[in-house]
Amino acid sequence: MAYAYLFKYIIIGDTGVGKSCLLLQFTDKRFQPVHDLTIGVEFGARMITIEGKQIKLQIWDTAGQESFRSITRSYYRGAAGALLVYDITRRDTFNHLTTWLEDARQHSNSNMVIMLIGNKSDLESRREVKKEEGEAFAQEHGLIFMETSAKTASNVEEAFINTAKEIYQKIQEGVFDINNEANGIKIGPQHAATNATLAGNQGGQQAGGGCC
Amino acid sequence: MAAYLQWRRFAFFDREAVKERAGPEGGGGKSLLLPPGIAVCDSGRGSLVFGDMEGQIWFLPRSLELSSFQAYKLRVTHLYQLKQHSILASVGEDEEGINPLVKVWNLEKHDGGNPLCTRIFPAIPGNKPTVVSCLTVHENLNFMAIGFADGSVVLTKGDITRDRHSKTQTLHEGSYPITGLAFRQSGKMTHLFVATTESIQCYTLSVKDYPQHELDTRGCGLRCSTLSDPSQDLQFIVAGDECVYLYQPDERGPCFAFEGQKLIAHWYRGYLVIVSRDRKTSPKSDFAGGDPQNSDKQILNVYDLSNKFIAYSSVFDDVVDVLAEWGCLYVLTRDGKLHALQEKDTQTKLEMLFKKNLFEMAINLARSHHLDSDGLSEIFRQYGDHLYNKGNHDGAIQQYIRTIGKLEPSYVIRKFLDAQRIHNLTAYLQMLHLQSLANADHTTLLLNCYTKLKDIAKLEEFIKTSESEVHFDVEIAIKVLRQAGCYSHAVYLAEKHAHHEWYLKIQLEDIKNYQEALHYIGRLPFEQAESNMKRYGKILMHHAPHETTDLLKILCTDYRPAGDGESLLGPEGRKANPEEFIPIFANNSRELRAFLEHMSEVQPDSPQGVYDTLLELRLQNWAHEQDPKVKERLHNEAISLLKSGRFRSAFDKALVLCQMHSFKDGVLYLYEQGKLFQQIMHYHMQNEQYRKVVEVCELYGDQEPSLWEQALGYFAHKEEDCKEYITAVLKHIEAKNLMPPLLAVQTLAHNSTATLSVIKDYLVCKLQKQSRQIDQDEEKIQKYREETKRIRKEIEELKTSPKIFQKTKCSICTSALELPSVHFLCSHSFHQHCFESYSESGSECPTCMPENRKVMDMIRAQEQKRDLHDQFQHQMKCSNDSFSVVADYFGRGVFNKLTLITDLPPGQSVAGLEAGLQRDLLIHSKRST
Repeated sequence: MAYAYLFKYIIIGDTGVGKSCLLLQFTDKRFQPVHDLTIGVEFGARMITIEGKQIKLQIWDTAGQESFRSITRSYYRGAAGALLVYDITRRDTFNHLTTWLEDARQHSNSNMVIMLIGNKSDLESRREVKKEEGEAFAQEHGLIFMETSAKTASNVEEAFINTAKEIYQKIQEGVFDINNEANGIKIGPQHAATNATLAGNQGGQQAGGGCC
Repeated sequence: MAAYLQWRRFAFFDREAVKERAGPEGGGGKSLLLPPGIAVCDSGRGSLVFGDMEGQIWFLPRSLELSSFQAYKLRVTHLYQLKQHSILASVGEDEEGINPLVKVWNLEKHDGGNPLCTRIFPAIPGNKPTVVSCLTVHENLNFMAIGFADGSVVLTKGDITRDRHSKTQTLHEGSYPITGLAFRQSGKMTHLFVATTESIQCYTLSVKDYPQHELDTRGCGLRCSTLSDPSQDLQFIVAGDECVYLYQPDERGPCFAFEGQKLIAHWYRGYLVIVSRDRKTSPKSDFAGGDPQNSDKQILNVYDLSNKFIAYSSVFDDVVDVLAEWGCLYVLTRDGKLHALQEKDTQTKLEMLFKKNLFEMAINLARSHHLDSDGLSEIFRQYGDHLYNKGNHDGAIQQYIRTIGKLEPSYVIRKFLDAQRIHNLTAYLQMLHLQSLANADHTTLLLNCYTKLKDIAKLEEFIKTSESEVHFDVEIAIKVLRQAGCYSHAVYLAEKHAHHEWYLKIQLEDIKNYQEALHYIGRLPFEQAESNMKRYGKILMHHAPHETTDLLKILCTDYRPAGDGESLLGPEGRKANPEEFIPIFANNSRELRAFLEHMSEVQPDSPQGVYDTLLELRLQNWAHEQDPKVKERLHNEAISLLKSGRFRSAFDKALVLCQMHSFKDGVLYLYEQGKLFQQIMHYHMQNEQYRKVVEVCELYGDQEPSLWEQALGYFAHKEEDCKEYITAVLKHIEAKNLMPPLLAVQTLAHNSTATLSVIKDYLVCKLQKQSRQIDQDEEKIQKYREETKRIRKEIEELKTSPKIFQKTKCSICTSALELPSVHFLCSHSFHQHCFESYSESGSECPTCMPENRKVMDMIRAQEQKRDLHDQFQHQMKCSNDSFSVVADYFGRGVFNKLTLITDLPPGQSVAGLEAGLQRDLLIHSKRST
């Protein structure tokens, strides 16, 4: 499928906050109440359109378990966006956000767009973390914030798409070096030639390498 | 904790040791033992291929009959059996020292019992000999890659079975030993994955200069890499100690944290087979993962990566390799035994999952096994039943929804026909409708659900969303909605789907919004508007008389559906028959009148019924009106209507109407129109309007004289004093001579008031007239008598005295008479030749003959008539003076015995006498006429 850009995302957060469900809802539009533990790193992709441009989102869904931390860390690199997820019905997942954020900032490139997501917003009755707290945390750390529900699909699209918009805007502002794949952004096959000439002559050999 | 971090484990494979084939003596049942010293193996083309430390290559076909040949003098170190060609590539040693030789065998051709070796070449990267670590051949036979322990890879391009066409080059040089090689063909792209102990590289062979791409900076052990099948995107699978990584040609893919030191990775039909060292006994790992000296317990796991479970897990002693052939997985252990792992069939697997209530997994599994939709829906049903029994109705219904189209909906509906689960039921029914599988009952049920849930929004959505297609039977939906009292929705539906009858029914009977209904009818096409108006007109008239009338007016004159601007330019609007709408106006004569008046004004050719009814109405109004002024106006209106000439054909009806309402002028007018003068007179007589009676007589007496007679009779019977009229009548009778005076007198005799003076003038006049007549008659009689006398005398003369013929001229040619001549007693003389040429018969005078003939004919006619009694009677009846008729008949000689003697044939003896008599008669009759 032809695309203008490919953005790599990573979804991080404590185990059981609903990372895999968010991904499943976004890519397959379905919800699986019983979900096995993610072991390792899984993968999903979907096309979206931003400002008339086809953009492929390649999403890495990581295991939240502490024991997999070393494996998942290696996936931070090369991600343009991160969805940092906590569970609004479990305060400890919110408390661990700082650790996750430090981890992400440490292992990723500095321009990575991070979105904070309070998941399971459908379980209002069991809420432990107020929306305002999430907002405050996001403000403090310069993140975008949103509450979602993978079960009802509320805000799921928006979460992924808003992140993509942010990244796209950063590209337009020239913050990202789009020819460096380590940034988690790839130019689509048909756009490679035109963009390469615009961005400079260093893109030539890169295009050859990533031709598939 | 570690156990928890694993996928679910199942036993989807049956493990079994491969036994020897039962011999003819039945001595089978022993485990098949492979010769010792097997170092390498591969499979393909229907056999397992083994290479041993003695340089032999063994084949084990399905029949389990081992065969071998000496391929190398010393040992076989690597084998690669192509899957699509009967070509086997091997690496081995013929002499001591490091000098590996590659041999390519064509298994279909034989060279003295052994397979034909088509090519031999030494495997040396550059000029320094080193140990071969791995070998792979592309299935298209164009590429062969050999990896060496010193970190270099040699690629042979071109037909690998021949020396001539192939080119060998060193593709890769590095410092770490090569541990895995795999060709990946995807479309036109060919890639070579190269795994070393410390890195993963990918070469693109279909691009010039073979560009290289480093995928990862960690590697794997020998034999711990494999290529997946298309179900996993042909990814290169690298089993590291911590994780199993998957690689695309250009980047790293997902990873799976399967623990343990991996020894072998093998891809088998969608499964990843991994042999790892048992963790508890595992010493530190090193490059030589498959060290033959190590005889530890090893764990074999079969992973299903797409469905995320472990399909099989078992412990083996010292696995040499894993092979796949004949639809089975074979595990070769160091002791020479072969274990077969037979996959269970899908149904068995699913049942195992059902037992554990792992329905979600069963569904995924069924999908990846391409189970048909029947099978899937059966799983959904079981899952639904399971959830239902657990009380998770929301979940259950989700599963049941997925069975739609396969499972009988009543099965599900029955389960949820409970008030508390009505929203589940609703969800199910909604889906049913969305997939257009709902029948009428389902629609009914769904709508009932909505109404019970009071979910008006949903209801509306259900009704209104189906823009393009309707998922339900509209009529039933309307019925249900109507029953449930959701009239507005029912009306909406009816309107949208053009169920006009329903729309009006509900609008009128339930909502009672008459105005709206009227507007609606006004928008309908003509036929529907007409029929609906007939049906509902009465109700509408009752509640919205004025508007209804307006609509009817339009409908009956020039109807075009309202809001249809275009048709104004189009052809004439259509007209309904106004007569048919008249019953609608029952009890509302005011509107009816307005309607009818409009009709008669706008449309002069309206049916008769319109005028009849209009007349009736006007008469009614007239009859009931008290105010004389208004009455006068109404009177005029009615008359003008009568005079409009609309009642020519329906005269009787109009007459009856006028009479019923005693509408005098109308009745009279109608009588006049119908020439019923008698009735007019009777009418006046009844009303005792003498003047009028006389007037009528004067007006119509010419056309019907008996009027006078009747008038006279009428007046005669009157006890009042009406001499004046009697006189007038008598005068007229006299003038026209309509009645014999005796009759007139007789008529008047009944009247006690009519004195002689009344008829004196009449009688006098009459008598005078008659006496005058008598005088005249007598005069005539005298005259006739004299004439008769004269004729008698003449006859006498003819009989007795001679006749002197003195004529000097011929009566025909008027020239002087000369002999021979003919003389007649009528004193006509002729030349004989004139007479002969002129006369028709010799005995008659040609001059007198035409006159005589005429008279003869008349006599004859009278004779004939005399016997026609019927005619006589008729004449008697018809004539107003029968006496004269009788006299006339006397005159014709009814009672005469005399018979007319016609011409006798000539030559008769009495001819002369007869002729004389005849002439006498003739003369007489001639005179008398």
